[in-house]
Amino acid sequence: MAERVDFENLVAAYYEPLYGFAFSLARDEADACDLVQQTFCIWANKGHQLRDTSKVKTWLFTTLHREFLGERRKQSRFPQVEIEFASAELPTVAPASVNRLDAAQVLDALARLDDIYQAPVALFYLQDFSYNEIAETLGVPLGTVKSRLTRGLGRLQNLLADVQPQPPKP
Amino acid sequence: MSRDEAKIIFQLYRPGTADTQDPQIAEALALAENDPELARWLEEHCARQNTLREKFRKISAPAGLKEQIISEQAAFSKTKARREKYVAVAAVAAIVVSLAFLSQFWMPSGSGDDSTFSIYQGRMAGVALRGYSMDLTTNDPAQIRAYLAQQDAPSDYVLPAPLQKMAMTGCAVEGWQNAKVSMICFHTGKPLPPGQQADLWLFVVDRGSVKNVPALNSPQFAKVNQLITAAWSRDGKLYLLGTSGDESAIKQFL
Repeated sequence: MAERVDFENLVAAYYEPLYGFAFSLARDEADACDLVQQTFCIWANKGHQLRDTSKVKTWLFTTLHREFLGERRKQSRFPQVEIEFASAELPTVAPASVNRLDAAQVLDALARLDDIYQAPVALFYLQDFSYNEIAETLGVPLGTVKSRLTRGLGRLQNLLADVQPQPPKP
Repeated sequence: MSRDEAKIIFQLYRPGTADTQDPQIAEALALAENDPELARWLEEHCARQNTLREKFRKISAPAGLKEQIISEQAAFSKTKARREKYVAVAAVAAIVVSLAFLSQFWMPSGSGDDSTFSIYQGRMAGVALRGYSMDLTTNDPAQIRAYLAQQDAPSDYVLPAPLQKMAMTGCAVEGWQNAKVSMICFHTGKPLPPGQQADLWLFVVDRGSVKNVPALNSPQFAKVNQLITAAWSRDGKLYLLGTSGDESAIKQFL
């Protein structure tokens, strides 16, 4: 039962990955901290309702994502993009170019993606979530997740191809 | 599956993860084993994916975030527990007060006993005020006493001298618990409202049938409903006289 999940152990296990997800969405340290804190606060109040403790991780990420969307008061629709239409988004960036970028530039590129692509791409890279876990976390069908990932990853890499690597610090 | 289709599918492929369990990726990987060009493309793709994963994972939480979350939650839990304790205490207090209030209506008690003197006073005053039918209409005291005796109602009553001079108009037998009450009606001489045959009433009952009767060695006066009453006790009988007016109005009959 969820009651048996120790709060401190839960925080210790998930605050880092949740912060990474929150920061990749919010792009602001204070906002990301607030999102993580709010997520654990909701867990403290409602976590006991979760019967399957194996779903704790998904529950936390889902809650954080919902809080983020709530904060943004986002009203956009989420059209399903078929994988065929994503074929034109094949990346052109070379691995060596990516390697010269720093994390901030990658996150800047992520922030320039449409909102519907940001969360699945972040979960894809940050947590190695399976496709099913990403679908469950975001509350969308598996096919939709794959479509968004295909298009979002392609666009991200195209954006990264245009980014000038940061000069090395003296 | 063509080479280009495989490349699109590989977009979602992260080396070293459970992605290989995806049927489409498994099929694309199998194709790459036999396609050197696709294999080279896949190698570049995997390098790019690994690099991007590393970049994303360089995001680290600010120092102290974990401790802040835990400490703030602990403080919140403490406040919540205290608030719940107060609410529980208040709820218990409210229940106790409610039960105490309701028990006045539900629980039998001395004051709630319907066989007491005060209840008797109210009941008899109600009979006089709210209407009755006389069993016997007569101005003959002897006939009234005889009738009451015949009904096994108290008939050996002793009237105060002033009352003996008042005109009787009849009598009735009322019930009180398991006892009979003799009701003797008088007319004081004042004009009576239409349909009314008396304006002074005497109730006599065995004293033992009424609980909590005070000493009543001398008449005790009380306003009951719209009547002024005088109660006294003599020779095991309880007398209750009632009329309209004030205490002086009733004293003239005692």
